[in-house]
Amino acid sequence: MLEQAPLALGLAAFGCAIGLGLIGFGAMNGMARQPEAIGKLQTAMLIALAFVELVFLLTVFVGLGSLKA
Amino acid sequence: MAFIAVGAILVAIGAFIVNSKSLKSVEDGVMNAVGLHIDFGKLIATIGMFTALFKIVEYFFLNPLFDAIDGRTKELEHTFGEAESLRTEMTQLKTDYEKRLTETEANAREQIQAQIKEAQDLKKELMADAQRKAEEYKQQAIAEIESEKRKALTDLRVHVTNLSLQATEKLLTENVDNDRNRRIIDDFLATVEVKN
Amino acid sequence: MNLITGFQFLLAAGDAEGGHHEASPMAQFYGLMVLIAIVALVTFLFLGSAKKGLNTKFFSKTTTKLLEQLYVFIEGLAIGIIGPHGKKYIPMMMTFWLVIFVSNLVALLIHASPTSDIAFNLGMALIAVGYVQYEGMRSNGVVGHFSHFAGPKLPIAMAVFITPMIFLIEIVSETMKNVSLSLRLYGNIFGGGEAVVAMNKLGYNGDTFLLPVGDFLFPIKLLTCVVQALIFCLLFAVYLSLVTHHHEEGHDHESHGEAAPAH
Repeated sequence: MLEQAPLALGLAAFGCAIGLGLIGFGAMNGMARQPEAIGKLQTAMLIALAFVELVFLLTVFVGLGSLKA
Repeated sequence: MAFIAVGAILVAIGAFIVNSKSLKSVEDGVMNAVGLHIDFGKLIATIGMFTALFKIVEYFFLNPLFDAIDGRTKELEHTFGEAESLRTEMTQLKTDYEKRLTETEANAREQIQAQIKEAQDLKKELMADAQRKAEEYKQQAIAEIESEKRKALTDLRVHVTNLSLQATEKLLTENVDNDRNRRIIDDFLATVEVKN
Repeated sequence: MNLITGFQFLLAAGDAEGGHHEASPMAQFYGLMVLIAIVALVTFLFLGSAKKGLNTKFFSKTTTKLLEQLYVFIEGLAIGIIGPHGKKYIPMMMTFWLVIFVSNLVALLIHASPTSDIAFNLGMALIAVGYVQYEGMRSNGVVGHFSHFAGPKLPIAMAVFITPMIFLIEIVSETMKNVSLSLRLYGNIFGGGEAVVAMNKLGYNGDTFLLPVGDFLFPIKLLTCVVQALIFCLLFAVYLSLVTHHHEEGHDHESHGEAAPAH
């Protein structure tokens, strides 16, 4: 258990990076196609980024807890 | 004020909780398992601090800001309204002025036209007058010439008659002076005149 | 005496790993208070400086201009997300923004700040979500607010099974809003500091210090400062819009004209 926790954190970071990248990709596509909607897209993108990041942070805390325990 | 008092009380409660460790068991039980240590005293103190902070910041700093921004917006609107009314007024004045200008121009043109017409009428009249007078003079001259001519002819006839009489007197020297001969000569002269 | 201990904790906080078990709880408490005092001092200095430049014609003072920019930004956020009735939440959002941003800036400089303390963040999140619940109850009524949790109206046979489940899930998600708000901020600020400390170790060759590798993260941490403050306000606005939207839908068109020209 103790040895696998850093690997689990790495996997979480991996998935989170893919998720963030997809959100950024979609948002930039949308912005390039419709520059007048940049404000709305940015807001939606930031909310989505925040949620994806939260999943990673939860994983980090759970993983750190199991590291310490 | 009530918010600040509540905030201060909450901060004090938080300090008391931290000091007395009354919630230590709850803290150790709940979150330490996942590596997060939440201090309930700090939590309550934070809540209290924010309760006070919102009111302080809003009352002392944000309300003046909102007032200033509102005042600025109102002032801008006022200025714009004033400028707009001024513009309307100026437009009105300009329209009036243009209308007056057009009117004056039309008036002047009309007057000029009238003057020109009058002058033309006068010219026609004068010309007709002059022509009539010239015609009169011409007629008079012709009549004079006619009468002069007639007078000259009469003179000439008398002269010719006298000449013929003198010539015939000299040629005939006898009973030339009687009326019958004179009549004969007159007849002759009339035939001559007719030929002429 | 306690204050001095607190300040010692503050100075030691950058080096303390985890930072929880070294100092006594009371010292930690005073440490947090000192940090909050620093943040409040910076915030009040900024706001006081901005307040001096206020007039009704043209803001020429730099801090006043900055505060006005913040106001315009938060107003756009509030009106864009919550709707025209979001104007009354602007002071709260601005306070949140200022406190979080200044705390994050403090975290950049001394490796310890209110926002890298989970209790502080959870306190803020509890206030935010609690205020959202209060607003929901005020605009929908207490019953209406809780029936909003229960999901759509269903036939009675299905409602017996499904409505309690939806209710439970909604309550859990409301609770998770707290966790989400606080952990995000805590993780970003505290984790950022930890990352700097960890990466600084790369700059050592044996025992000789060569390069502060971790401090090159400064720009991205600066970005995080702004983004985290923004996201906290954004999510606060989104939560508010979720609970207050239905009620005031009818007034949207009437008050739209007043809200627009401030941009």
